[in-house]
This record gives sequence, structure tokens and C-alpha cells, in this order.
Amino acid sequence: MRLLGLGSVIAYRALFNWTTPIVFVGSLLIGPLFQLIFFAYVGRELAVGDDRFYIVGNAVLSVAWTCVFGGTMAIGNERRFGTLGHVLLSPRSRTLIFLGRATPYAANGLLVAAVILTVGALLLGLHIPASAIPLLALCLAVSAVACAFFGLTLGALGLRFRDIWVISNVTTALMVLLTGVNVPFDQLPWFLRAIGAALPVTHAAAAARDAAGGAGLTGIAPNLLTEAGIGVAYAVLAAVLLRIFEAESRRRASLDTL
Amino acid sequence: MKTLRMLLMGMLFHLKHSSRSPFEIGSFVVVPIVQATLAVYLFRAAAEPQKLLQAAVGAGMMGVWSSVLFGAGGAIQMQRWQGTLEMLMLAPRRPVMVFLPITLANGAMGSYALLATLAWGRVLYGIELDFAHPFAFPVAALVTVLSLGAFGILLASLFILVRHANAFMNALEYPIWLLSGMLLPIASLPAWTGPIAAALPTTWGARALREATAGGAVWPSLGLCAVISAVCLGLGALALVHVERKARAAATLALA
Amino acid sequence: MDYAIEAEGLRRTYRSRTGWLRPRTTEVHAVRGVDLTVGRGELFGLLGPNGAGKTTTIKMLNTLLIPSAGTARICGFDVVKQTREVRRRIGYVFGGDRGLYERLTALDNLRYFAELYGVPARDQKRRIAELLELVKLTGRENERVEGYSRGMRQRLHIARGLLHEPEVIFLDEPSIGVDPVAARDLRATVANLAATGTTVLLTTHYMAEADELCDRIAVISEGEIQALGTPAELRHRADGRRVLEIEAYGVPTDALEDLQKLPGVREAAVEERGQVQVVTVQSDADADVQADVLRRLNGVRIGRVTSREPTLEDAYVAIIAAASRVAA
Repeated sequence: MRLLGLGSVIAYRALFNWTTPIVFVGSLLIGPLFQLIFFAYVGRELAVGDDRFYIVGNAVLSVAWTCVFGGTMAIGNERRFGTLGHVLLSPRSRTLIFLGRATPYAANGLLVAAVILTVGALLLGLHIPASAIPLLALCLAVSAVACAFFGLTLGALGLRFRDIWVISNVTTALMVLLTGVNVPFDQLPWFLRAIGAALPVTHAAAAARDAAGGAGLTGIAPNLLTEAGIGVAYAVLAAVLLRIFEAESRRRASLDTL
Repeated sequence: MKTLRMLLMGMLFHLKHSSRSPFEIGSFVVVPIVQATLAVYLFRAAAEPQKLLQAAVGAGMMGVWSSVLFGAGGAIQMQRWQGTLEMLMLAPRRPVMVFLPITLANGAMGSYALLATLAWGRVLYGIELDFAHPFAFPVAALVTVLSLGAFGILLASLFILVRHANAFMNALEYPIWLLSGMLLPIASLPAWTGPIAAALPTTWGARALREATAGGAVWPSLGLCAVISAVCLGLGALALVHVERKARAAATLALA
Repeated sequence: MDYAIEAEGLRRTYRSRTGWLRPRTTEVHAVRGVDLTVGRGELFGLLGPNGAGKTTTIKMLNTLLIPSAGTARICGFDVVKQTREVRRRIGYVFGGDRGLYERLTALDNLRYFAELYGVPARDQKRRIAELLELVKLTGRENERVEGYSRGMRQRLHIARGLLHEPEVIFLDEPSIGVDPVAARDLRATVANLAATGTTVLLTTHYMAEADELCDRIAVISEGEIQALGTPAELRHRADGRRVLEIEAYGVPTDALEDLQKLPGVREAAVEERGQVQVVTVQSDADADVQADVLRRLNGVRIGRVTSREPTLEDAYVAIIAAASRVAA
């Protein structure tokens, strides 16, 4: 019975850890790839933007998927498996522990986005000049780091709110709308633009499009720096929130409520 | 009569259960509205304001599909965690009778998406709700929602057997939106997708709703949607019997 | 004779695959050939340590798992093929927090399962009221289950299991994590069920519970039934023995083996009770082993030493210990 029990715990973890190849491919690659294709066809049909607009933009957005779900899961899982208390009891800096968790998600996001961009471009016949590839990679990397910290900020909210999956679910839906990846930014009303401008991906997507269109480093630098700045801002925010909510969790004994 | 009573009671029970979950409420209330907003801005950007109503209906239909899909997969995964899946299996009934209320409840929740996108479009974006067939539309909506609920059984049978239902769920959302022509006409897709689209009940449901909105023969499409769904329900019922046996053999009903 | 439960040669093997680059299949033999028959109206106990195969056995009998080998019938119906007939006649209650719709009220839960388990519409209200009364949840039925205590959930589980007035009820460790007072109530409820003619198959690892309730007990360990009989019969297994209990601090691990080998000693076990270890030595009643045992434990700090008559628990310990020695 114990062996069986252990086996199911492992299976249970696997459900969430997304490390099983089929889960990884299914949710992290196929999902965003179809999203990209969907919007590329929307763009073609409605003539809102060209293929480059949609393919490059949605590839950058796919970074957010991994990072938002990753960040929320980093904390959501700890709570679900009842280990959150143990992590918080660890004598090492909590902030460091959780920031450390952002790194794998950023790397993962970068990998996913690179695959999505390549496959998307091949499938839909988008030509990306070889000279643009280093800059595109840079855009994706900056965006991945920014998104990882953004995901961590959302994860920090998980210390305070029980149903963290709502947050990640609604956030990913909102990012599709607000980052200017699918609806051209200037078509959105000012208040939606304001929210979009504060999200990661928005500026990186713009920079990546320019890069794919042949712009040089100086051309995309302003957008890229803004994205990096947003990333730093979320890193600070995540650290602050973690500190506040951790203290609060201890006071309110809400750590291990599921 | 007894069966009908059980289906109805079960459906209400599961609707009530979902309505108490902040996660489901959050996702089902907010996400369709975000999608409707997206559709409205896209069609506005395309300078096709005359199609805004169609866009809103299309976005609503997308919501119905998401609800059926995530409902079928998520609900079953949830029951597994809760330990209620085994309790459901112990009911002395055909498995389809146990699970149909769940998928129907998901379809019914999807109808909210349809209503919400229309209300949202009307209130915020002043979209005129002038349907070509104002009477056919609600009928088409109801039949489509129920049909997709029944279609959910086929999905559910897959999700009971497969532990990684989540992965499939995420992968199935956009393709069906695209293939069934919910937002865009199918004609804009490569020709090889045609036969797949024709076999999907979502395609005909979306088409019936579009015809009720913009004009066209609603009933043939709606009929096809209902017939295909009924076939899927039959297949799903058979699949569930098989899946139940397999799950009992492989011990995948419980996780702890 | 008409049996409520019959099982012949039940076996169950779990296969699990680990790794995806080089898939490796591991097999766990949870149940390795269980034979048992339970008469109608009997209260039958399945007693064994964690991992002995109790839950797996129950799940094969209640149709949730298909046996890898062997057959079983409930009220004459095959558990693999005639599932609907079997399910109409059985109730299943397992210990723990899960298995209920937490976000809804107890009443919602009971109504839904009554409908699902085929309780006729006109009887539902009366039946639910009766059961709420039986499990002492009347007045709390409109509260959500998520606010229930462990004991209340367990009682709700039982009410749910009894909705369709099953002929056979499976209780899988119902008293796990329930406080002593609630556990006593629970035992009274179970005893009552059997008194009214329901066949009960109870699994537990609490000796006293099995001793008090069960007509017959099967001790299961290593996936096999090691002993079967009435509590009195099982107790006889320790007849002609004497039990020596020694409180000690820091018993070396190899000491037990040596104790086992002493002349006249039948079993030796050690159990941690907080700070102190309790060494239990079973010996032939006519052999006085105390001096030999204490000599072997020389150098270990010793507390109280008592010599007493064996109990059912000692019989159980002897059976389990013998089984695990064979397995090793």
C-alpha cells in the first residue's frame, strides 16, 4: 500500500510538474502554436496585420505562457503538496529561493518561444532574414526574463489568495488582448493601452517585429530597454510581495489551506 | 422520466458545484468577456463594423467550446483529486448516465459566454442586436449548447482514461476555434481542413448561429449539429463502457 | 450456504512505468491470492498493517478494480462482469477527507448520490432524514462540507454509503484520524448495521476495534491472509505463551535477533513509545526467559519490566511477524 501510495503521489506530481514530455509538448508547445496559427489566419482574413506581425508577436507571447503558469505553479504546488511551510521555514533567504525558481522558467520560456517561432515561420512560410536571428534571440531572452519575474509576482499573490489558478488563467487571457500582439496597440482605448504598456511582452514583441523586419540594435534598443526595465520592476515587486505576504501568512496561518 | 429526472438533477448539482468555485467562476465569467473584447477590437481594426455582431456571436461560441472542453477535462480531473470519481463509478448505472449531467452542465455554463458577449457588445460597444432570424437564434443557441454538451461525453471518455488530460485540453482549444470557423469563415483555411471541419459538431453549430445572425438557412446546419452530436454521444457512451473497464484494470480512477 | 461475499484466489498486480527515455516497468504484487467467504449479516474484519493489501482487496470486491487473477462474487453476482447488479447491492465508505463535494452542503451531496444510486424519488426525503439522524448530522445538513470536521465527514460518508440500503457495506479504515469519542460512536453505528442484517466488511489496523466488532477476522499481510477465525480463536494462537514487556532506552538493532534465538522465546519485537522503547518478548508459558533476556540487554538502560498474559494484539503481532519473516 505504501508503494502504491508513493506511486500515486509521484503520478500526481507529474500532472503538475509538466516534466512529462507529452504534457510538456501538449500544453507548452502545441497550445501556443495553435494560438499563433489562429491569429495569423485572423490577421490574413481581416487584413489587420501581416504574417510577420502575428507570427513574431505570438511567438514572443508564448514566453508568457510558460512563465505565468510556471511562476504561479512554483508556489501553488508547494502549497498543494504541503511543502510551502517547510520552504518558508528554511533558514535561507526566501526571496532568493523563489527568485531562483524564476530562472528555469525563463530558460524554459526562451526554449518554447524559439521552437514556436521556428515552427510557426516554417508552417506559414514567413521568411526571417538570418541577420535578424541574433537580435530576435535577444528580444526573446529579455522577454523571457521579464515574464519569469512577472510570473513570480503572480505566484507571490498565491501566498495571499487561495485560488491562484484564476489569476494565471485570467492573466494569460488578458495578455492575448492587451500586449498589442493581436490587436494593434493603437486600436486599443487609452486605458487598455496603459495596462498593456505595464505588462511584459508588449515592448519585446514590438522590438522583435522590428528586428524581424530588418531593424538594427539601435532601432530596437528603446523597446528592449523598456522591457528590461519592466522585468526589473516585477523582480522588485515580487520580492516585496513575498516578504509582505510571508509575514502575513504566518500571522493568519493561511499557508497550508488549499 | 426517471432518467430525465436524474440527468436534470445531476446537471443542476454540477452547475451549483461549479458556481461555488472561484476558479471556475473567474475563468468562465472573465475569460469570455476578454475574448469578446478581443474580437470586437479585431473587427473594428479591420474596418468591418457591419460584422461586429457576428464577431460577438463567434466569440460567444468560442466561449461555449472552451467551457465544454475545459469542463469535460477539468471536471473529471477535479473529481479524481476529490476522490469522487470512484464514488460516481460505483453508481449502478450506465457510465454515460453518470457523466452526461456533468458535460451538459458545462454546455449550460457555456451559454453564459454567449449571453455575456452579446450583452457586453451591446452595452460597451453599442452593437445593434439585429438578428436576421430573431426567433431562430435562441433556438439555435439552445440546441447548439446542448449538442456540444453531449459531444463532451466523447471528450470525457478520453479524459477519464488519460491522466494528462490537462495537456490535451490546452492543445484542443484554438484548433477547434479555427477549424469550426467560429470567428473566421472556413473558406480562409487550407482546403484539407474542410473534411475535418465538416465532421465537427462545433462547425455546424457555429454556422447555424451565424446564419441566424446574418441570414441563411439555419435549420439544416442546426440539424446536422444535433445529428453529429447525437452520434458522438452514442460513440461516447460506448467508449465510456470500454474506458471504465480499462480504468478498473489499470487503476487510474483514484490518485491516492 | 448463501454467502454475501465470496472470493477465490484474488490477486492484483500494479504495473507502473517510470522514466520515458528508458521506460522501466515496475510491478507491485499488492494482493497475492486471497480466499474468503463472508456469510449474510456477518461482520467480517480485515486486519493488517499498512500496505498489507486491505484496500486493494476491498476495491476488487466492490468493482473498482479488476483482479489480475481469481474471481469474486457479491450476493452471487460476479464483480468483474455483473457490475451493475453488484453495485446495486453494495455501499462503500473509505476513511479520509476525500470523496465528497466539498463546496456543497451535506444535503446536496446526499440528494445527488441518492439520485445517482437509484433511490426512488418518493423515498429520498425520508431516507435522507433517517440517515442524517443515524449519523447525528441532523441540523448541520445545510452547511458546506468544507467546514466539516474529520469525524463529521466520516459520518457523512457513512450516510452516503447507506443511501440505497445496500446488502453489503465495505468500510475501509473508517476510523482513521477520528477522535476517540467519535470512534466509539462509529463503532456503535457499525455494530448496529450488522445487527439489522447488513453484511459488513471492515478493514482496520486497530486491534480493539476488530476485537470488539467483528464476528470473524482475517489477518492479512504481504498480500495474503495469514490467519482467519473468530477473535477468540485468534487469541488462542497465543495460548501457552507468556509476554514479557520491558521498557528500555537505546536498544541496539542486533539485540532483537539475539533475543529471538534465546531458548523458549517465540517472538521479540520493539516499539517506540515517545522517549521510551518497549521490548515485547513472547515465550512459551513454561519457560522463564526473563533472566536470559535481561542478560542480553546488559548495558541498556532498563525501565519497568512486566510479565503478563497474551492479548489479541500479541496474537496479531505474532502472526504478522511470522509472515514478514517468511517474506524476507
